[in-house]
Amino acid sequence: MRLWNLVVAQVRSLVLRTRRQDELDEELRLHLEQEIAQQVARGLSPEEARRSALRTFGGVEKIKDECRDAWGLRLVDELGRDTRYATRRLARDWRFTLLAVLILALGIGVNTAMFSVINALYSPPATYTDAHQLVNLYQNDRDSGQPGFLGTSYPAYEDMAAYTDLYTGVMATTVPYPMGIYHDERVLRGVAEFATSGYLEVLGLAPSRGRWFTAAEDRPGAEAVAVLSHRAWTTTFEASPSVIGETIRLNGVPVTVIGVGPEGHSSGWWDGITTDFWLSIPTMLAFDDSTNGLERDTREAPFLVKARLRDEVSVPQAQAAMTTLGARLASEFPDEDPGRGISVVRSDTVRIHLEFDGPITAIAWLLMVVVGLVLAIACTNLATWLLVRGLSRAKEVSVRLALGATRGQLVRHLLVESTLLAGAGGVVGGLLAVWAIGLVALLDLPVDVDVGLDYRVLGFTLALSLVTGMTFGLAPALKATRVTLTPALRGEGDSPASGRRAFTLKNVLVVSQVALSCVLLVGAGVFLQWLTTMETADVGFPIDGLAFVETDAGLAGYAPDEAAALYETWRTRVAALPGVESATLAAGPPTGGLDGPFSTREIEVDGYTPADDEFVRGRWTWAGPGYFETLGLPPLYGRTFTEFDRPETPGVVVINEVMARRYFGTPNAVGGRFRVVARSGEAETGAGVELEVVGVVPDTRDWVLRDPLPSFYRSSSQGDGLTPTVVARTALDPVSLLPLMRQTLRDLGGELPVLWARTMPEHVAAALGQSRAAGAFLSGLGALGLGLASLGLYAVMAFGVSRQAREIGIRRALGAGRTHVVWTVSRSVATLLGVGLTIGLGLAWASVRGVAAIATSVTLTVPAIDLMTFGAVSALLGTVGLAAGFFPARRAAKADPLVALRHL
Amino acid sequence: MSEQSDLLPGTLDLLILRTLVLEPSHGWAIAQRIQQVSKERLKVPQGSLYPALHRLEHQGWIRSKWGSSDQQRRAKFYSLTRAGRSQLATEASKWERLSGGVNLVMANE
Repeated sequence: MRLWNLVVAQVRSLVLRTRRQDELDEELRLHLEQEIAQQVARGLSPEEARRSALRTFGGVEKIKDECRDAWGLRLVDELGRDTRYATRRLARDWRFTLLAVLILALGIGVNTAMFSVINALYSPPATYTDAHQLVNLYQNDRDSGQPGFLGTSYPAYEDMAAYTDLYTGVMATTVPYPMGIYHDERVLRGVAEFATSGYLEVLGLAPSRGRWFTAAEDRPGAEAVAVLSHRAWTTTFEASPSVIGETIRLNGVPVTVIGVGPEGHSSGWWDGITTDFWLSIPTMLAFDDSTNGLERDTREAPFLVKARLRDEVSVPQAQAAMTTLGARLASEFPDEDPGRGISVVRSDTVRIHLEFDGPITAIAWLLMVVVGLVLAIACTNLATWLLVRGLSRAKEVSVRLALGATRGQLVRHLLVESTLLAGAGGVVGGLLAVWAIGLVALLDLPVDVDVGLDYRVLGFTLALSLVTGMTFGLAPALKATRVTLTPALRGEGDSPASGRRAFTLKNVLVVSQVALSCVLLVGAGVFLQWLTTMETADVGFPIDGLAFVETDAGLAGYAPDEAAALYETWRTRVAALPGVESATLAAGPPTGGLDGPFSTREIEVDGYTPADDEFVRGRWTWAGPGYFETLGLPPLYGRTFTEFDRPETPGVVVINEVMARRYFGTPNAVGGRFRVVARSGEAETGAGVELEVVGVVPDTRDWVLRDPLPSFYRSSSQGDGLTPTVVARTALDPVSLLPLMRQTLRDLGGELPVLWARTMPEHVAAALGQSRAAGAFLSGLGALGLGLASLGLYAVMAFGVSRQAREIGIRRALGAGRTHVVWTVSRSVATLLGVGLTIGLGLAWASVRGVAAIATSVTLTVPAIDLMTFGAVSALLGTVGLAAGFFPARRAAKADPLVALRHL
Repeated sequence: MSEQSDLLPGTLDLLILRTLVLEPSHGWAIAQRIQQVSKERLKVPQGSLYPALHRLEHQGWIRSKWGSSDQQRRAKFYSLTRAGRSQLATEASKWERLSGGVNLVMANE
């Protein structure tokens, strides 16, 4: 109650301030009037009475002050005064203020943006009800014995689901497949998972509209049904309630929509994936090339299995039962499932997949370290500036101390100033972060990510800059308030001797800034160089002048043989376009794409004995007439396809050099023979056929420019392989060819959709887009670090030289040459730079090694440790640092020695 | 005006509170009353009166209200709050102990 009264009184004091001032005036006036009246009554003249009253009363202003103190407003008043004072000071030193706010804003902004993006990309595992009961069941990879990314088969899922004593429910879902959705007379791209009836129930979710699949719909022969994701429903289908019951076409296959998924649920795998459709299991059979997914063979099995444990069942118990099941499967199906067992892993310990989680965590950490470096540089920088400024204010502080200011008041001033700076930096930094996040959203990221400003991060960076501001603003301030008055007042500053100590805070700050910038710059340099290697990496054939357009006649309802004829007509028309040198048909963009032209298949090679457990495979694609000529891939050995390769002539194949070397032991593999292993229960053209190698062509790289893999080409005239892509080579600009190619497609009639239309240079560049964005980002950070470090160096050097002005003046007066003076100053700068660079290069070397280890683990090309980059960075930092020391030194040396001496 | 003595430190609060028990009063009247009741022996230092009043009000022991004085002049009247009454009791007993103690020492032959 008492406390409450106090608070109320305080608030009233603040709110009613002016009124209370007036009231106080009136109260005191009344008192004086009555006093005067009394004196007059005693016989004094009014004038004397007034004087006497005022005398007894004392100083009116002093009384008012004391009354105001009684209201408890003194602290507030003083803080307000400090703030006004600090604002004025900061406005007067606007260069310093601008710089400090900018440094802080960059540090805070970049960090907040980056952490927000990383947080969004690396979203935590989705939280489901009773998540501790959810487990992932993986059939182990036949090579590694660890849970594989692919590799849990549908029959194995059914076996697992039979353990109803362990699980209340088991579900399986496939990896997301890219699909073409024919909607509103357009073909849109989407992603679909094939899921079982238990999917939502196991996750503890329910559809937001309609229903999910029933157990009967899991069984072969059931109608093809789909559940839309809530997101796809609200965007593509504009939240139309009538979509339920509608039939839509996915990759040309009609499916009936029966429901809409839960709001906010994006995928059973990982929240970073946005699945548009869930399709029932039998629907898989309706899609080409997916039939193998339902077989016992674990090698290309696409399922992820999740189960919900019964209350009394522990993970080890489930693991024991699954190990038994794994052993049983191995003895029953030694070929399809060679018995590497089954792993039971709690779902909430898995983010995306055990195989990816490690590297992803590593990359996220790496990015955080890089951004953290920038923040560290920004903070050190600010610290340097505050320190320099604090020291140079020793004189002002002494004057104020001499005039009677208390140390508490001085410290409060300086603190208010630091807080104002940090606050301004935080506001600008926050705006910067919002802007930067907007930029990131424009990038073409591999997965759809919902990036928003992370306020926790903003708070953290803001707090950090506040702490930096306070610590490094306060330390010199405290030191300054302890100065002995006389020398400081005389403007002597530090004695020269104090500058000779090695471990001054100033030196440590300079060295750490140089070292940190060094690490950042080397990192950016190495990455940029790696990027250049990637960009100059040859796809294996000249891409200038190539353009391609892909359609899918299946989506427009054509039968395969009609489609093939249509494609051929289209090709001949494109070939006849002006400026086109040649045109060919391919199964997809020649360097591949998300759904590229190659499918990886198991093969049997005559005369090649595979090692234990080796999966002999090659990437298979169909090549249309003139394929190798159009692309510019002349055979190294043998020939390419001719019009004499017909369906009735023996099967011929052209292979790449890597395949020739690996499976035939020689680049000249002409005459070698192999077969594509037919997938059981599948009547596929070309599978199981005896193939003879008639030619060997140079290796090509795929769209992300990975190293070439064993690949083979079959002639489209020897099969009904779908080749819906026309690739054309022109001597002119391929960009101008694209509209013409689209037009020829439209002229064919039949509403054929355009799935892709790109020039090859565009296609290759798009694949590098992400790396390029990352490169630009890193170099930006590097430049930022360099800029900050130079500013810091300059601040310290300029300050140091200005403190030595007297010493320099004496030296000059005693006859030292200008060069000598500059040299003396530069030498101390060079020492600091040298120490910083040595530490920095050491750290950089260690970090590049660390990154290389991470890169190897995610099968990226390893950035080499490159002396050029190290040399260039050292030279750059060295030059900037020396310049930062040289110019102030020259200015000091040029100054009139007498002027400098007069400061005595 | 000869026999006036300065107040002991801390006694002003007590005197103000005691005066306000009788009736609400404005600053000048409080000072006058203290002087009258003490038979002009105590002189309230006018410079300390108003700060003391404002402090007591801020502490919640007295409250103020604008009213009109005897001469129909607008004046700020202070009155005792309930917390002020109990504070007065505490202060009074403290004062009794103190003055009683001083008297005993002085009376000791």
